[in-house]
Amino acid sequence: MARTKFPVEVLTPEGEVFNDEVEMISTRTATGSIGILANHTPLLAMLDPTELRLYRSEGEIVRLAQGEGYLQVADNHALILVEEAHAPDQIDRADLQEKLQAAQDAYANAEQGSEAQRQAARDRRRWEAFTRIAGGE
Amino acid sequence: MAQQRDVKNRIASVKNIQKITRAMEMVAAARLRRAETRIAALRPYAGAIRRMTRQAAEAAGNVPALPILNEHDNEQRVALLLVTADRGLAGAFNSQIIRAGVRTAAEYQAAGREIVYYATGRRGVSSLTFRGTEPRQGFTGFTERPAYANAREIAQALMTAYIDGQVDRVEILYNGYISPIQQEVRRETLLPLQQATILEESDEERETGGHEAGAPHALVEYEPEPEEILQRLVPDYVEISIFRALLESTASELGARMTAMRSASDNAGDIIDDLTLEMNRARQAEITQEIMEVVAGAEALS
Repeated sequence: MARTKFPVEVLTPEGEVFNDEVEMISTRTATGSIGILANHTPLLAMLDPTELRLYRSEGEIVRLAQGEGYLQVADNHALILVEEAHAPDQIDRADLQEKLQAAQDAYANAEQGSEAQRQAARDRRRWEAFTRIAGGE
Repeated sequence: MAQQRDVKNRIASVKNIQKITRAMEMVAAARLRRAETRIAALRPYAGAIRRMTRQAAEAAGNVPALPILNEHDNEQRVALLLVTADRGLAGAFNSQIIRAGVRTAAEYQAAGREIVYYATGRRGVSSLTFRGTEPRQGFTGFTERPAYANAREIAQALMTAYIDGQVDRVEILYNGYISPIQQEVRRETLLPLQQATILEESDEERETGGHEAGAPHALVEYEPEPEEILQRLVPDYVEISIFRALLESTASELGARMTAMRSASDNAGDIIDDLTLEMNRARQAEITQEIMEVVAGAEALS
């Protein structure tokens, strides 16, 4: 059964990635997985790296690897701001592997409890999520 | 005869140089258009981040006391981030940033502060190293097309140094983009971040005119609490400021290269004109010489 559609905009610092009507959004906030349907209550959420799914319909799903970001729902309009969003097949796995390794090394070398260590942990989490997405289902 | 051939060779080589500078000018012009588009593409994102920050700050009642908002009591060590390019051949583009950086450093040193350099672009890193003031960290290989991830890496390095107390103030120097033929050196303070810059309405919001959340604030759900969201939103300002500086610097670099290459092409044209004149003179002199020889020979016979 077709659900009601609502407009979604996905913006990154490098431009607009998606702007269309969808039936459902599925993503991950700092507190857990979330699904947004039409007429959702106003919301401001912080997003963590994960696979963002935009359901144009039951069978047509746009998948994007999302970095950290924010989701705002207001007036039945969803705005997703993310630092980066890539189609899973456009991720360079070798490059990702390198970045993940660098983040792991940085984490291991950073002083316990320092800001450098927190940043490395954040990088590591992002690249791990992207690796899972690029790795296929 | 020999002189004519020399001049001909020189004309040919200047023509080749002119072809190269023309090509570089056109490449820079094409890339400049893309760079301008990217500056424009950042605006809606930056505007939306600001609106969300204000919304969250209103809900939280205030901006939490984050370490990057916190001024250090004793501003002993000042970090300067010099934004240069990986390549030269762009007029004064790189040297004016280095010069401004050295001047700023001298001012601070005269006031008894220590300077820590950071640099983007191979030109900046190598110039600083050559001067014996090696940057604490250099970021290279992306200045033709900076990605947000590059800005994030730089912002993280600077914020980490600030929070962990290795530096007490961070300033950025970059070439601001005004038009293809006009750039200006800009100097801005990145850290400590001012609360005022976060909460004031910016030009880009007025330009993009996005919609404020229409619902009364009490009805908005926050996930997690607005205070926690702000802890991540506020550092985003530093990333966005650096990203904007990188994008403007790239556009400025291409504009400066375009201008430099155009005047190089014009110069080559002038040199070709001069050399052509010289060659014609030499040819004329040779012809005159030959005629005189023929006439002299005829006179000797008569």
